[in-house]
Amino acid sequence: MAGSGSDHLRDEVVLRVEDLVVQFPAPHGETVHAVSGVSFDLDGGETLGIVGESGCGKTTVGRAVMQLEPATDGRVELHGDDLTSLRGERLRQVRRDMQMIFQDPVSSINPSRRIRDVVREGLDMWAEKDGPRSAQLVDEILVAVGLGGDDVGERRAHEFSGGQCQRICIARALVMDPKVLILDEPVSALDVSVQAQILNLLEQLKQRFGLTMVFISHDLAVVKNVSDRVLVMYLGKVCEIAQTDQLFDAPTHPYTQALLASIPGNRLGLPPADELISGELPSPLDPPSGCRFRTRCPHADERCASDEPALVEHQPGHWVACHHPQAHLRPRGDDQAEAS
Amino acid sequence: MAPAERASPRGPRLGLAVWLSLGWIGLLVFFAVFEGLLPIREPEALGIRTGEVEKYEDPGWNALFGGDSRGRDLFALVVAGIRPALILGVTVTAIAAFLGTLLGLVSGYLRGTVDAVTAVVIDIVLAFPVLVLIIAVRATYGNSLWIFIVLFSLTGIPGYARIVRGATFSLAEREFVDAAVSMGATRWRVIWKELAPNIALPVLSFAAIGFAIVIIAEGGLAFLGLSIDQPTWGQLISQGASDIQRHWHVAIIPATVMAVTILAFNLLGDGLRELFAPKEILTQRRLHAAGRHAPGDRNAVLDIDHLSTTLHTPNGDVHAVDDVSLSVAPGEAVGIVGESGSGKTMLLRSIVGAFALGDVTRSGTIAVEGVDMIRSEPSTISATLGTRIGMVSQNPLTALNPVRRIEHQIIEPMLVHGTATKSEARARALELMEAVGIPAPERRLREYPHQLSGGMRQRVTIAIALANDPSLLLADEPTTALDVTVQDQILRLLAQLRTERNMALVLVTHDLAVVKGFTDRVAIVYGGEIVEEGPTDRIFQAPRHRYTLALMQSMPDLDLPSHSELTTIEGAPPSLIDRPIGCRFAARCPAAADPCMDEHPTMAGDESHRWACHFPADVPAAIEQGGSDGR
Amino acid sequence: MSVLALRLRTIATRAARLLLVFFVVTFFTFFLLDQAPTDPAVIRAGLNPTPEVLEEIRAELGLNDSLVVRYFRWVGDAVRFDFGDSYTVQGFTTWDLISEALPNTLELMVLAEIMAIGMAVPLAIRSARRPGGLVDRVSSASAFGLLALPSFVLGIYLAFVFGVRLGWFPTIVDNLPSIWSDPFGNLRQMFLPSLTLALNLVAVYLRLLRGDMLDTLQQDYVMLAQARGLSERRIMWRHVLRPSSLNFTTAVGLNVAGLIGGAFIVEILFAINGIGKLAIFSITVEDYPVVAAVVALLTVSYVMVNLAIDLFYAVLDPRIRHGAR
Repeated sequence: MAGSGSDHLRDEVVLRVEDLVVQFPAPHGETVHAVSGVSFDLDGGETLGIVGESGCGKTTVGRAVMQLEPATDGRVELHGDDLTSLRGERLRQVRRDMQMIFQDPVSSINPSRRIRDVVREGLDMWAEKDGPRSAQLVDEILVAVGLGGDDVGERRAHEFSGGQCQRICIARALVMDPKVLILDEPVSALDVSVQAQILNLLEQLKQRFGLTMVFISHDLAVVKNVSDRVLVMYLGKVCEIAQTDQLFDAPTHPYTQALLASIPGNRLGLPPADELISGELPSPLDPPSGCRFRTRCPHADERCASDEPALVEHQPGHWVACHHPQAHLRPRGDDQAEAS
Repeated sequence: MAPAERASPRGPRLGLAVWLSLGWIGLLVFFAVFEGLLPIREPEALGIRTGEVEKYEDPGWNALFGGDSRGRDLFALVVAGIRPALILGVTVTAIAAFLGTLLGLVSGYLRGTVDAVTAVVIDIVLAFPVLVLIIAVRATYGNSLWIFIVLFSLTGIPGYARIVRGATFSLAEREFVDAAVSMGATRWRVIWKELAPNIALPVLSFAAIGFAIVIIAEGGLAFLGLSIDQPTWGQLISQGASDIQRHWHVAIIPATVMAVTILAFNLLGDGLRELFAPKEILTQRRLHAAGRHAPGDRNAVLDIDHLSTTLHTPNGDVHAVDDVSLSVAPGEAVGIVGESGSGKTMLLRSIVGAFALGDVTRSGTIAVEGVDMIRSEPSTISATLGTRIGMVSQNPLTALNPVRRIEHQIIEPMLVHGTATKSEARARALELMEAVGIPAPERRLREYPHQLSGGMRQRVTIAIALANDPSLLLADEPTTALDVTVQDQILRLLAQLRTERNMALVLVTHDLAVVKGFTDRVAIVYGGEIVEEGPTDRIFQAPRHRYTLALMQSMPDLDLPSHSELTTIEGAPPSLIDRPIGCRFAARCPAAADPCMDEHPTMAGDESHRWACHFPADVPAAIEQGGSDGR
Repeated sequence: MSVLALRLRTIATRAARLLLVFFVVTFFTFFLLDQAPTDPAVIRAGLNPTPEVLEEIRAELGLNDSLVVRYFRWVGDAVRFDFGDSYTVQGFTTWDLISEALPNTLELMVLAEIMAIGMAVPLAIRSARRPGGLVDRVSSASAFGLLALPSFVLGIYLAFVFGVRLGWFPTIVDNLPSIWSDPFGNLRQMFLPSLTLALNLVAVYLRLLRGDMLDTLQQDYVMLAQARGLSERRIMWRHVLRPSSLNFTTAVGLNVAGLIGGAFIVEILFAINGIGKLAIFSITVEDYPVVAAVVALLTVSYVMVNLAIDLFYAVLDPRIRHGAR
């Protein structure tokens, strides 16, 4: 896989990430190639799901977009302004326009502060603390995330469950009225029943506040539930990006197919996963040449080792970075009936 | 929604020892402040022999602590030593704690060059012979209290800086710092608003101990004849030490006063530490047995009958496993599904009797191939554990001993249980590595766990579990920590090994999808109980317990269109300490009615499929006709 | 890329940093001693020297050179163990005095560490096996109490009980026989001072090791070892002790370094002719070449022991050996 290329980017978007590269120094002079040329964009009110396994660089993409990790190369444009070149005070000024929700909700809240102060922190920071108005706003948002109640604001993080902490984190982000909300595995630390609560909440808030979101997760079913478009990553590169239904009904990149086939039950009528993927994830210190998925791909040939595939549009809005794209159409019929 | 789902544990409290320490410190402060107003012999008596007290007078009513070598009142001398001790301790601790904290915060958060320079400076100060410094400074500036305050403060800073730097390092990794930065917090705001409040208590606790260290240091210097120009405890001890052969009290009394003071500050520091880092629960690791062994199905490889496992904790008894009965036939695969806190892991651990710390009681019956796993001789239990049962745990990163080679870890169970000689065990280790699909097994055997990927480590854990060819494999969330493609490989491997070896499998998981393709039967656990149990296919087609149904519906499914609203289970699981009287699920159940709250439901259904629900879900008509004959 | 090469590079970096520590500390010491009012030329010249004689001696000793030049000359001599003559003990070089005192200090250090480790490891294992049990509660409380007893207090207590009241051991080390010729007599005299040091160390070691072992006991691999039917003794000694001993090793190392530089208080208290007593004596009589030599010894042992700890980490934990941690 391993697509580079930015032909799929659209004009007039809220967030535009172009050829993002993030590298870290590793001990002994080596380099971790965490993200190697990822491009995507995000329209207002849209949810983009980024999916991939551990080590694919999805979290690093989120952190680099947030400017929590410096980009080695590439651009991150919010409403046309490049953020990667900003430093110091100017960076601080634009940061408030993007907010992030993290994987571990408990560790995301300062244990020594009261919830009210945690949620209103953004307002305090930007000196918008004209007493009653901000207090009212904080209360409203807490109710909106399902944490109404007299004394919620007076408690501290350890008095809340994981699901409630995640609600608090969402409230804290919403207070900032962000243009883009980045969610990094927001439900993977939660139990199934609580996970459903948070996913439903995000959907409600999206309708109510018109949120624009990047939803990062390893769980394909969760990503399918929340996303309008989905981007599949492998070892720092984009494999496939498409409308959610396109991707799940007609997965085309061999890696995407392998991912979907690995889900217990393999409901999409794909061949068994062990026929679609073999071996182990290569080291990001020394990624394979050409297509990065070639070392594990059943279709790989010499071209895959020499040429890096670019993202090509197979169907309108369905982009795939592969020299040997595999058509697969999900069977319809029995499966569906059984599920409903 | 209820404001707190999690019962707040008993709030941290200061123990008796801390209050006694505070009392002693208060007494010292009292004497230091009112020294002049109390009926104590004149301070002048420090230097001059007044004749009121004899040389080496024994302690008594005339002089409470007796007289010293020059006939001075030892009590008056000890009291006179309080002020310099407290002044030195308070000022040095305050200065060193403040500057050290500042240094630690800044270098711990900013890292980079600032941190590297700080580290070298700390190294230098630690390696520096303080004695020489003190001597040199004394020679130039004299030996007043203030010189000592400066010197002690300087040498005290690294201690605080190191502690704060370490704490800051780990705090700065936490996501709330990232969240603050994302909102536009400046560096100084992060340091003061986010980090500093969280290290205040650790610093305070260390300061109490640091106070004691100052007193010790002064005493040590006094002992070497390098003290300040005021009377101190250290000087008294040093002077008395040479007379200890004949007059014990002149050294022992001031030494004891000093020791009690140091102890008081140490206890205070320890007490403060417990406020932010509660001590591990000091219950003994003990396994109790209750009830009798009542073997049921003799043919079963695992037979659990009315098993209850209770963890005795300071917050109360946790009923982690509550009257559970389950039987596993040879070669059968049984799934145990539940959310976190449902008791599913404790059920598995009860079988092997391996709990982390804690005081645990198991009652009821656990029989593995007919062996009573609760009440048999320890050697019998060990042998059964080692040869009949294999176990795989959730996190492959912590499931292997990091400091021992893979080969060693695979052959150990064979050697310990005497099932193979060393050379046989080695040959078998190689076979096992091949059997679990590890490429280049010879090389891997010589490696350490950290040299393997997560998936490979899980394969090694499975290989160890298979070492003595067990008839029962217990797998606790074996794929939860793994990626989806690796999960698929591991689940297939387990299924294949099970068929090849005719081994029974108990698969504990929170993920219903995992049990679906890989188990024959499934048990759903909630609140420490089995709420439904039956053939996997039947349960997926027609779940009867309301919790099973809700759990299935709340899972996002690839078959659902995107943006579809998920069914949720509101509220939170019940406490395992104060169990609800009625159905454990009643508070969250959409179908709950009167009896659910007050009456604990009993098992209904037939031999193969049973459930404990007052209002079981309906069976879809199509399935009732086609598949009612069971298995 | 060999693992060894990586390891060597890490160690080289560390060594460079420690070398810097050595130079800064010794130079600063040299500078401080130089500020002292004592004039080596006056000492060398004897009674009532003329200014000319003094000037001659100054030139001979190179005292007119700048501080930096003199410092590097001192370092240059020091690597050949030439620290100059003692000011006060006529006819002895500084190195004579140090090599006479060092064996006693080393013996004290080795005995104290053996006793401390010998007590701490089994106690920590027993305590961690049964936290909250009798052994654990008694040893934890004792450790806590011992931490409150500085060595001069503890030493006095021990001397009082075992020396004065019971009379089992001498309270003063006097005419210490060589450990090779009369081991019993030697150990009898060294017992109380070693025990004083050891009891203070035991408290520190026990708390560290017990805490780290309790952490290790929470690891999955310990639970799995139990589930494999391994005995508790085997689990503690084979699976828990080694991964738990990194902090303990550091503490042992730093204490060894500290004790080589002299157990000042214990040596004074029990009148042992060791480095600590020599240092204090030299300080009191302003014999600065000896003081500087002791500081050098202390710093070198600090540096060497730190390097040794680094190397030993790699032996203890293969992850460190492979640079994975």
